[in-house]
Amino acid sequence: MRKKGGRRKINPSLKAVLQNFSRSYLGKRRNVLQGYDFEALRTELAELKDRALDQNERLLARFEEKARAHGSHVLRARDGAEANRLILNICRNHGVQKVVKSKSMVSEETGLNDFLAEHGITARETDLGEWIVQLGAERPTHMVMPAIHLTRHDVAVLFSEKTGQKVPEEIPALVRIARREMRKEVFAAEAGLTGANALIAESGAIMVVTNEGNGRLVSTIPSVHIVLASIEKILPRVEDALLLLKLLPRNATGQTITSYVSFIAGPHKGPQYIVLLDNHRSELLADPQFREILRCIKCSACLNVCPVYQIIGGDEFSHVYMGGIGALLTAWIHGLKQAKRLAKVCLRCHRCEEYCPTKIRIADLITALAERINTETGTLLWKRFAFDGVMARPSVQKAAFGAARKARRLIGNKNGFSRSLPAWMKKYDRFRSLPAPAGKTFSTLFKTSFVSDVSENKEKKGSVSLFSGCLVEHFYPEIGMAAARVLAKLGYAVKPGPALCCGFPPSNAGFKKASGKAFAKLLEKTDVQGPVVTLCPTCTTMLAKKGPEVNDSARAKELAKQVKTFSQFIFENELESLSALMSARRRTRTVTYHDSCHHKNILKASGASRKLVEKALKSPILEMEEPDKCCGFAGSFSLDNPDISEALLADKLATIKKTGAEIIALDCPGCLLQIRGGCRSRGLDKRVAHTAEIIEDAICQKG
Amino acid sequence: MIERFIEKAKLAGAEVERTAGLDHALCAVKNFFKKNNIRNAIISPELKRRDPFQHEFFDLETGLSTGSLWVEAGLVAADYGIAETGSVVHFDRTDEEKNVWTLPDICICLLERTRIVPGLENISAEISGHLSQTEIPSPQVSLITGPSRTSDIESQLTIGVHGPSKLVILLLDETEGYVGRRGKTAKDFEAETNKHE
Repeated sequence: MRKKGGRRKINPSLKAVLQNFSRSYLGKRRNVLQGYDFEALRTELAELKDRALDQNERLLARFEEKARAHGSHVLRARDGAEANRLILNICRNHGVQKVVKSKSMVSEETGLNDFLAEHGITARETDLGEWIVQLGAERPTHMVMPAIHLTRHDVAVLFSEKTGQKVPEEIPALVRIARREMRKEVFAAEAGLTGANALIAESGAIMVVTNEGNGRLVSTIPSVHIVLASIEKILPRVEDALLLLKLLPRNATGQTITSYVSFIAGPHKGPQYIVLLDNHRSELLADPQFREILRCIKCSACLNVCPVYQIIGGDEFSHVYMGGIGALLTAWIHGLKQAKRLAKVCLRCHRCEEYCPTKIRIADLITALAERINTETGTLLWKRFAFDGVMARPSVQKAAFGAARKARRLIGNKNGFSRSLPAWMKKYDRFRSLPAPAGKTFSTLFKTSFVSDVSENKEKKGSVSLFSGCLVEHFYPEIGMAAARVLAKLGYAVKPGPALCCGFPPSNAGFKKASGKAFAKLLEKTDVQGPVVTLCPTCTTMLAKKGPEVNDSARAKELAKQVKTFSQFIFENELESLSALMSARRRTRTVTYHDSCHHKNILKASGASRKLVEKALKSPILEMEEPDKCCGFAGSFSLDNPDISEALLADKLATIKKTGAEIIALDCPGCLLQIRGGCRSRGLDKRVAHTAEIIEDAICQKG
Repeated sequence: MIERFIEKAKLAGAEVERTAGLDHALCAVKNFFKKNNIRNAIISPELKRRDPFQHEFFDLETGLSTGSLWVEAGLVAADYGIAETGSVVHFDRTDEEKNVWTLPDICICLLERTRIVPGLENISAEISGHLSQTEIPSPQVSLITGPSRTSDIESQLTIGVHGPSKLVILLLDETEGYVGRRGKTAKDFEAETNKHE
């Protein structure tokens, strides 16, 4: 549960359940997708959903016409309240006292159960997870696995209360009891309510997907069948629904197909009502930036791989809908205020986007959402000061870091870590090991001590701008120097890029204007005629992807073309000459590799780094579990959510420790700050190094 | 393709038994009833109309008897088998039919070997055609893959939560066009594919 104004309480047993679930999910998913081209399939599905959204109203009209021809009643509801009222009227008209439901997230969205209860009608869930959650008067915490937060013990206690008998804590026995109780409820109900995984326009049919078979019982046993579905579920044809079916179970639970898939056209023994809910989806449809949210097929893959969801769970990370996609849906359906809390805990690690079956750019859209939240609901003063007042103004930024550097003797210890911190920060291991600013910035070091190295070169390959980024400039100049020396040895004339903020941190926090200002200053001072090599994947993301979004000049586009991370640049251009340069007597060292989020998920460059590191250390990488899971740094996220950041770091360190590797290689100075600090405060004696440093070592080592 | 179907169906938790013709299948059903001590079974209305089931199982109801929520076994026939997923497909015409698949603890399903097709896309036109009919009251299509399952408690797979805890598929090797609706057969699909090639 969330505590106001204090540390978030992380429940370790819930965390273990969610993380185990995620690991087993990833394994099963990998198996069922073997032999399938996921990328091609999801592109096809995303395009299909887009086309269906383009003609949403026309398809809905066709669906209505066809469903009516079967004898179904089709009703439209503008919002949740109207849908609830329509369903209440249906119940009253048919003398319905009890409704049984198969899983419908849309009915959670409208608050249907509570509404019907207020009017004397009992609504009972029949999906086992939802049934359990309802018995405990809770809310679902996962879209596919609603009771994932409960143990068999919790369930046994609930069942004992329900049946008035002592119930054993064995899962098969619990399921038998639920079968008996739920069957009685289904046969006692006068109406059954289902959702729909797809509405099929050409035939006026719905598609319902379940594993338990409750959808079938609920839609056939009671005499009235009510369907509650949101308007974006519409698809043109049966074959389109079959494409969705190819991806939905595979991506949701790692199953080839669910146990039951029912296509239902028209009413059975009694009447059938189909309620089509809008609830702000038309507004979303008209919003060119955000409409792709409506491609969501509610498979929950994004939750299953979300590092934050696995730590805090769906009770914390939801309003009605959960996780990152939940933040986006919530913004439209339940308002920006509710969405703000969810958007704040998104790492923006982009891991979910790798798994989304309709290619929704969840993380990018949350950044855009943060912008709207800042504009429309205001923001914290310290953030406005940091992003607008400091980062967007190079002179102020320089002065701030300069002052910190002067105070270095006061705040730092001899190992380069900070020693005096405010009391609240001392509660967190990761803050106890924050680095103090380096004695000299990268720019200064480069100016004063780099010249001699360059003169060694005979063959010149042209010049390269080395853009250090803030962390290397102020905290880790040695990484910059290592990269510069490697590039020089390879025959490039190295010149340092401007020591300015790239504009990513303000952009990520939703301060687009400040980001645009910072980026424009950087752009002005950068030579875009030749290659620009960076040492931080996040800066690279700004320069290569986000820059052209905030600045539509030709120069920004040129820069986007020229920029490469150090590893990308070396791998693409200098792989062979690098082999010749590396010392034959270099030592073999064991190494593991941490994929930085932006490096892997946005730049798709971690493959190149792995190969370089393996070559430099003459040893295959000892892979840690889930190397692509965020270390918890994530920029200002770690200040907003220190407890989640700390938990992510602890997990990362545990997986690192298991590999037994001597060196942890990575490509992002932010991850380096986090992981090096974590190793230090937990007494883990490991070398945490940037790929550039590892390569330089391999070249300079005399054995 | 047949092997793939059997492999995938078993992977989904179904039992698959190969039988020669109808007589064999009938024996298999009777043996199954005897072995599992089944006293309370129902049969799908379409099978009940046909010989030899009409005679052999004349005492079986096509739905639950009044006042009872429970039945031990259900005997049904599938229209198609899908090799890619190990699913059986049924084109339902009434709810009564549909319930024979869902309500019993054990579901025994007859499927002709010749009705196994490679993937769902092979029958998408037929599904679409069936659902578009307005002359029958409630056209429905069901894809059933293994027994009813849940992982809702501690993510542990448990079977038989709402529907059957056992799905037995009896593959009829020798009959053709006896059970199941008269639609395309595997031969037709092969012929079509050959024509395209």
